[in-house]
Amino acid sequence: MAVALFLSVLLIAACGLVYELIAGALASYLLGDSVFQFSTIIGSYLFAMGIGSWLSRFLDRALVSRFIAIELMVGLVGGFSSTLLFFAFASTGGFRFLLYLVVILLGVLVGLEIPLLMRILQERFNFKELVSNVLTFDYLGALGASLIFPLFVVPRMGLVRGAMAFGLLNALVALWSTWLFRRHLPHASPQRAACFGVLALLVAGFVYGQKITDTADATLYADEVILARTTPYQRIVLTKWKDDYRLHLNAHLQFSSKDEYRYHEALVHPGLASLAGAKHALVLGGGDGLAVREMLKYPSLESITLVDLDPAMTELFRTHPLLTKLNANALNSPRVRVVNADAFPWLEQSNDTFDFVVADFPDPNNYSLGKLFTTAFYRLLKQHVSANGLIVVQATSPMFARQSYWCIVETLKRAGFRAWPYHAYVPAFGEWGFVLAGDRDWRPPGQLPAGLRYLDAKTLPALFDFAPDMGPVPAEPNRLNDQSLVRYYEKEWREIIH
Amino acid sequence: MARDYPLTGGEPPLQLTRRDFTAGLVSGSFAAPALLGMTRKAPQRIEGGFVFEDQERGHKLRDHAQFPAPQRTVKVPVVIVGGGIAGLSAAWWLQKRSFKDFVLLELADRAGGNARWGENGVTAFPWAAHYLPVPGKRATLVRELCTELGLLKDGVWDERWLCHSQQERLFINGHWQEGIEPQSGMAREDFDQFRHFAERMKAMRETGAFRVPSEDGAAHQTTGTRDLDNITFGEWMRREGLYSPYLRWYLDYCTRDDYGAAAGRVSAWAGVHYFASREPDEKGPLTWPEGNGWIARRLIGRLSAHIQTGSMVHHIRPNGHRWQVYTEGVLYDAEAVIFAAPMLLASWMIEPQPPAWPVPYAPWLVANLTLEHWPKEDDSEPAWDNVVYDSPTLGYVVATHQNLGRQPNRTVWTFYWALAGGAPADMRRVLLGGDWNYWRERILADLERVHPDIRDCVSRIDINRIGHAMPSPVPGSMFHPERIRRATPQGTLVYAHSDLSALPLFEEAQHRGVTAAQHVLRLVGRG
Ligand SMILES: Cc1cc2nc3c(=O)[nH]c(=O)nc-3n(C[C@H](O)[C@H](O)[C@H](O)COP(=O)(O)OP(=O)(O)OC[C@H]3O[C@@H](n4cnc5c(N)ncnc54)[C@H](O)[C@@H]3O)c2cc1C
Repeated sequence: MAVALFLSVLLIAACGLVYELIAGALASYLLGDSVFQFSTIIGSYLFAMGIGSWLSRFLDRALVSRFIAIELMVGLVGGFSSTLLFFAFASTGGFRFLLYLVVILLGVLVGLEIPLLMRILQERFNFKELVSNVLTFDYLGALGASLIFPLFVVPRMGLVRGAMAFGLLNALVALWSTWLFRRHLPHASPQRAACFGVLALLVAGFVYGQKITDTADATLYADEVILARTTPYQRIVLTKWKDDYRLHLNAHLQFSSKDEYRYHEALVHPGLASLAGAKHALVLGGGDGLAVREMLKYPSLESITLVDLDPAMTELFRTHPLLTKLNANALNSPRVRVVNADAFPWLEQSNDTFDFVVADFPDPNNYSLGKLFTTAFYRLLKQHVSANGLIVVQATSPMFARQSYWCIVETLKRAGFRAWPYHAYVPAFGEWGFVLAGDRDWRPPGQLPAGLRYLDAKTLPALFDFAPDMGPVPAEPNRLNDQSLVRYYEKEWREIIH
Repeated sequence: MARDYPLTGGEPPLQLTRRDFTAGLVSGSFAAPALLGMTRKAPQRIEGGFVFEDQERGHKLRDHAQFPAPQRTVKVPVVIVGGGIAGLSAAWWLQKRSFKDFVLLELADRAGGNARWGENGVTAFPWAAHYLPVPGKRATLVRELCTELGLLKDGVWDERWLCHSQQERLFINGHWQEGIEPQSGMAREDFDQFRHFAERMKAMRETGAFRVPSEDGAAHQTTGTRDLDNITFGEWMRREGLYSPYLRWYLDYCTRDDYGAAAGRVSAWAGVHYFASREPDEKGPLTWPEGNGWIARRLIGRLSAHIQTGSMVHHIRPNGHRWQVYTEGVLYDAEAVIFAAPMLLASWMIEPQPPAWPVPYAPWLVANLTLEHWPKEDDSEPAWDNVVYDSPTLGYVVATHQNLGRQPNRTVWTFYWALAGGAPADMRRVLLGGDWNYWRERILADLERVHPDIRDCVSRIDINRIGHAMPSPVPGSMFHPERIRRATPQGTLVYAHSDLSALPLFEEAQHRGVTAAQHVLRLVGRG
C-alpha cells in the first residue's frame, strides 16, 4: 500500500518534468536559441509551481477529489500541450504567449499536486517519514524522466505522442487514486467516469498522434536539425525530414540524400569512366566524400587526394555514422588521402599531377570563392593534370544562372582547355551544370561501373545536349582582376529571388 | 575648395576621450569595477611608433653642418646618388648595357626610396608606393622591365599580379559601393557632369600632350595646353562649369591621392594629365603585398654588387673635369655623377649651388596597421583600396589582398594620408608636431567612422612621416625653366629623379633614371 502510494508520487513527478522538457525542446526547435528557451521555461515553470504550492493552502475540503481533478487536468493540459503549441505556431502569431501560458498553467497544477498529496497522506504516516519519502520519490521520478525523455520519448514517440503518453500516466494515477483513497471517496463513480473520459481522449490523441505530427510537420517546421556546427570557415547544418538528410553550408543547400546520387554520378562518371588508365585523382572541395564514393567504384584508381578547407567537415564525414553510411565510408578508404587546405595556394605549392580532377566548390557568390573559377586557377590546374587527363567543374545551374554557367565554360576555354559542357537534373537543385575539360579529344564512355542508379552508357551522351533555354550565351571570361562571374551570378540569382 | 579641412589652427587638439578615461580607470588605481566585471572587455592594446625618422639628417644637410672628413678615396667612373626607383633604373640600364664601373650610394639601410617596403609575421607591406598602373603600349621602357620580371609574357599580362577583384570600394551615404567614382546618391545632373568631364578628358588625350612619361608629350604642347599650367585644377573645374559635389570630391580625391595636394592647389595641367595620359590595355593596376617594393626588391637583387647602403652623400664638388662625391666614410672621385636623390637636396649639396628648385613638396603620413582579425562587415567584402567619401584621409589598402587563397585572419592595412588641408609648410609642422599617440588617435578615429570595432582589431600601428614626400605640381611647375633645365641631361652631372617631371610616378622615375644612364653611357664612350 505504502509503496503504491509513493509510486504515484514518482509518476506524477516524472510527468511534471516531462511537460517542462517538452515545452523547452519545442520552443528551441521552433524559435531557436535553446539556452534562452530552456532557461526561461524552467524558470517560469518552477515559479508557477511555487504559486501552486502556495495556493494549496486555500483548499480545505474534499482533498482527494480535488487531487483527482487536478491530476486529470494535468493529464489533459500536459498531454495536449505539444499538439496545441505546434498548431499555435503554425496558425497564430501568439505562440510565445500561449507557450508561457501553458507552462504556467501546468506549473501551477503540478505545484498543487505534492502538497495536496502530503496532506492526504499525513494521517497515515508520521511527518518525518512522510516528507522524506515523498521528496525521495519526487526526485527519483525527476531523474527517471530526465533520462527517458532524450533516450526514449523524443526518438521513439516524438514530442506529440510523448506528451500524450505522459498525459495518460497522469490520468491513470487519477483513476488509481479512486481506489487507493476510496475511504475518502464515498461516491467515486462520477470521478471514475471523468477519469475514463480523459483516458479515452488521450488514447485517441496517442493513436492519431502520428497523423497530428505529420500535419504539424508539414505546416510548420522546417526540417528537424540533427546537427549544427559553426567552424572558423562556415556553418554546417544537417537536417532530416523523414528519411531525407540535407546538408547546408552557410544556409546553402549542398545535397539532399534522396537525390545526391544523381549529382555525384553526373559529376564523376562521364569524365572518369572515359579515362581507361586513370591512376591518380584529385577532389577539390567536396569534403562530404560523396564524389570520392563514386570514384572508389574504379578499382584501377590508386590514389584519391581530397583537398577541403574545413577539417570539421571532413572529420564529420569520416566519423558521423549517418554520414559515413551516406558516403559508404569513402573518406576512410586506404586509397584516400584527406588534406585540409585552401585549394588555390595548395595547388600552387604542389608538384603532383593527376589524371582526373574534380573541382566541386560552392557557387561563386563572392570574390573569395570566385577566385576558384578564374583563368588563373584553371591555368594552374592545367599544370597539375596529366597529358590525357580530364577535369570536371561543378558550374552552377545553366537554367537559373545561365550566363554564369557559360562564363565558366568560356573561362576554361580561355585557360587553354577544350571544354564539354553538360548538365543533369537533380530534383533538390533543379537543372544543374558541369563542365568537362581537357587537352585531347573526349568521347562518351562506352561502359560505366556497375550499380549506378542514374547514369547508363546509353543515356549519358544526352546530358551533353542543351535545350534552347539553357544554351550558350556570350560571356566574358572570369579573371582574377575582373571577376565577371561573381557579377553575373549575383545578378542572375537576384532576378530569381525578386 | 569645399573639401578642405581647416588649416593648422583647426586641427583638433589631442583630447582625452571617454574611452581613454575608462581605460585609465581600469588599468590604474581604480581597478575595482573591472574586478566586478562591470566594464566592457578591455580594448586591444595597440603598440607601435614612428619609423624611418630621418628629418634630423635632412636638416643637417640643409644647414650645411660639419661632417667628418672621409678616411679614404675611391676612384670610380660613375657614381649614382640615391637608390630610389630612378637611381635603381639608371643602374639597371647601365648593367643592361654591360657597363660595370659604377656604384650606387644610398643613404638608407636598404635601397628603394619611396618604393620601400616592410615585413612582419603576417605579410610584406609597402611603406609608400603601392601600385604601378598597367603600362600602355607606348610605355616601352616599363614594359621592357615588366617583361624581364615575368609580369608580361607575349604581350599578355599575368593575372597573378594584376589587382584582384574587388579593386576599390567607397563608403558613401552610410554604405560601401563598388568602385571609387561615386554612384550612390547621385542625381542625373551629377552623372551628366561625370560624362561631360569624361568627354573633355578624351579630347585632351587626343591632343597627345599628356603622356607617360610626360616628356613624350613635350612636342605636342600647344598654347592651349600650356595655359592649363597657369591655373589650378579647381579653377579649371569652375571654368568648365563642373560643380557637382560628387565630381568635385572625386577629382579632389584623385589629386590628393596622386599629388598629395588638393585640386584647388595643383596645376590644371597636372590634374588633366592624371586623367588624360593613360591608355591601359588591361584592367589593373599591378600590385603586390609589398607594393612597388616588389619591383625594387628584384632590381636590388640584380644590382646588389653595385649598391652601397648606409652611405649618405653630403657634398658634391667639382674637381677639374671630375667630381668629388663626399660620404661620411669615403670620398668618391668620379667622371660622372647621376644625381638621383630628391631635387630639393641638390641646392644643399652640390657646388656650385644650382638655382632653387621650383616645385613644392607635399607632406604625407603612411601608417601600417597590423590587425589581429578583420572588423565585422555585413554586406560588403574588403577591397584592395578602401576609401571613405568626405574623409580628409585617403583610406587604406589591404596588403594581403593579392593572396590567392582566402584572406587570412591577421592582416596589414596601409593607411594613406596626404596632409593636403593647407599650405605644405604648415601641414609639415602639423605632421611633425603630433606625437605617436596623437596620430594613432586620428587614424583610428577616421577608421572608426566605417569600422566601429576597429580598436578591437588593431594590435600595432607603425607610422612613417614623410615631410617632403612628393612633388606637388602647383601652377607654373610644368613649364618652369629650372625644371626643364635640370630635366635636360647635360655635362657630367646629370639629374635623375621623378621630381624632374614634377609628377610622382614610377614611370617618371624610371624614365629619368634610364635617360640619365643613356647620357652617361655616351659620356664614357659606351652609348
Ligand atoms: C606616400 C607615397 C605613395 C606613393 N605611391 C605611389 C604609387 O602607388 N605608384 C607610383 O607610381 N608612385 C607612387 N609614389 C611616387 C614615388 O615617389 C615614385 O613612384 C618613385 O618611387 C620615386 O622614385 P625616385 O627614385 O624618383 O625617388 P625616391 O624614392 O625619393 O628616391 C630617392 C632616393 O635617394 C636617397 N637619398 C636621399 N638623399 C640621399 C643622400 N644624401 N645620399 C644618398 N642617398 C640619398 C633616398 O633615400 C631614396 O632612396 C608615391 C610616393 C609617396 C610618397
